[in-house]
Amino acid sequence: MKYYLSLLFSGFSLLLSAQPNCNVYKEDPGCYEACLEAEKAIRHPQGSKESQEHFDNSIELCPSFDYSYQQKAVPYLKRGQFIEWKRLIDKAVELNPTGHLGNRAWCRYQFLRDYNGAIEDIEKLETMASYDIGTGTNGDYHLIITKALCYKALGQKEKAIQIMIDHLEKDDYEAMSYDYLHLGVLYLEMNEPTKAISAFLKQIEINDYLADTYYYLGQAHSILGEESQSQEYFQKALSFYASGRHMMDPYTHHSDRVFKNDIEVKIGKAAIDGIQKK
Amino acid sequence: MKYSLTFWALIICMSACKQGEKNVEAGHPKQVGDLFFNPKTDKAGYQPCHADLVYQYYNFSNGLQFKGEKPAIDRYFKENFKATEAEHEDGYITIRFIVNCEGKACWFRVEEMDLDYQPKHFSKAISNQLLELTKELEGWEIAEYEEEKYDYYQYLSFGILNGQLTEILP
Repeated sequence: MKYYLSLLFSGFSLLLSAQPNCNVYKEDPGCYEACLEAEKAIRHPQGSKESQEHFDNSIELCPSFDYSYQQKAVPYLKRGQFIEWKRLIDKAVELNPTGHLGNRAWCRYQFLRDYNGAIEDIEKLETMASYDIGTGTNGDYHLIITKALCYKALGQKEKAIQIMIDHLEKDDYEAMSYDYLHLGVLYLEMNEPTKAISAFLKQIEINDYLADTYYYLGQAHSILGEESQSQEYFQKALSFYASGRHMMDPYTHHSDRVFKNDIEVKIGKAAIDGIQKK
Repeated sequence: MKYSLTFWALIICMSACKQGEKNVEAGHPKQVGDLFFNPKTDKAGYQPCHADLVYQYYNFSNGLQFKGEKPAIDRYFKENFKATEAEHEDGYITIRFIVNCEGKACWFRVEEMDLDYQPKHFSKAISNQLLELTKELEGWEIAEYEEEKYDYYQYLSFGILNGQLTEILP
């Protein structure tokens, strides 16, 4: 049983490691061999002695093989050993800035809430890349939206809203899973509940799977004094939460994520207010 | 003899104990981040149930698992951590540990870094306080899979600015 559990989890980790394309290194024997070592590394469970040793071999064969530095860094990040993670990812960025700045930025934001560091990386990448800089590592957010979330957290809410709106309005951009939810929360924080409601309803059109959206809709309607509507949304939020339909990340927490207790407090508070009014 | 046999026996013993603490060959451990029992710091009574097979908290795809979820952890530290106004006390204190198959946390290890991700020593008033609070924190969920219970590695990372607690991660 334990053997099969290990296989299941190691397979999951392997699927998350993008395979390098070794054919591009065929003209450089050292780096070609380094790439083959990296392929061996990702056949072992992420973070295992065997995997890390193959990455070490890869780096020894080709010290400029940035992929191996980045991949070797990942288990340290996931397991809370941030000093070593940063040392390795910095090397990857140094060797291939456009290849790894986005990843480092997103990891700084998502795992460490290092907002200034993430902004610095994203803005540097924007100056270096003439193309779409793409999404964060787990695909939840475009890096421009990630930047907006960082500004939001730093209290620069107007700037955050503008960045988000500008990006959402681009012809070649399709809103991702949580974009409008975060925009709506920003409007709530700026005390603009009507705009917030529009954003949340747009969120539901794109992704109607989140208790979080209904919770914030409840908040918005409560600000507008529409308590009955507010409570309906809180009840829906609780129902969604009970069936597992909410923001979820296996490693960290999304910003603006709502928890069961948050919803229950709103429902409970309304019940108490209702009793007091009677 | 200038040094007694007892002295040399002690020296040999201390070297062996230090090796036992590492418990692996030089180089990478079996898994990145593996922890080993340290008799100096680990409470003898709390152990992993299966020290040779400790998973990671994220292996079960449910994220951090705690009774009352993340808000309960946030509330606990907000209510119990006594901040000290202190310039230059900026960075992160990360405490890694194992939650065993009975939901008990054990084998705590601390890593401190500044905002540039370089090693740093915070004042003991901050680091020891966070360590003791983490040790006393109760409510970790037991990791179960197909009716079997497992040990898992977990960490809490505390963002500190001017001695104030600003973030609790993950």
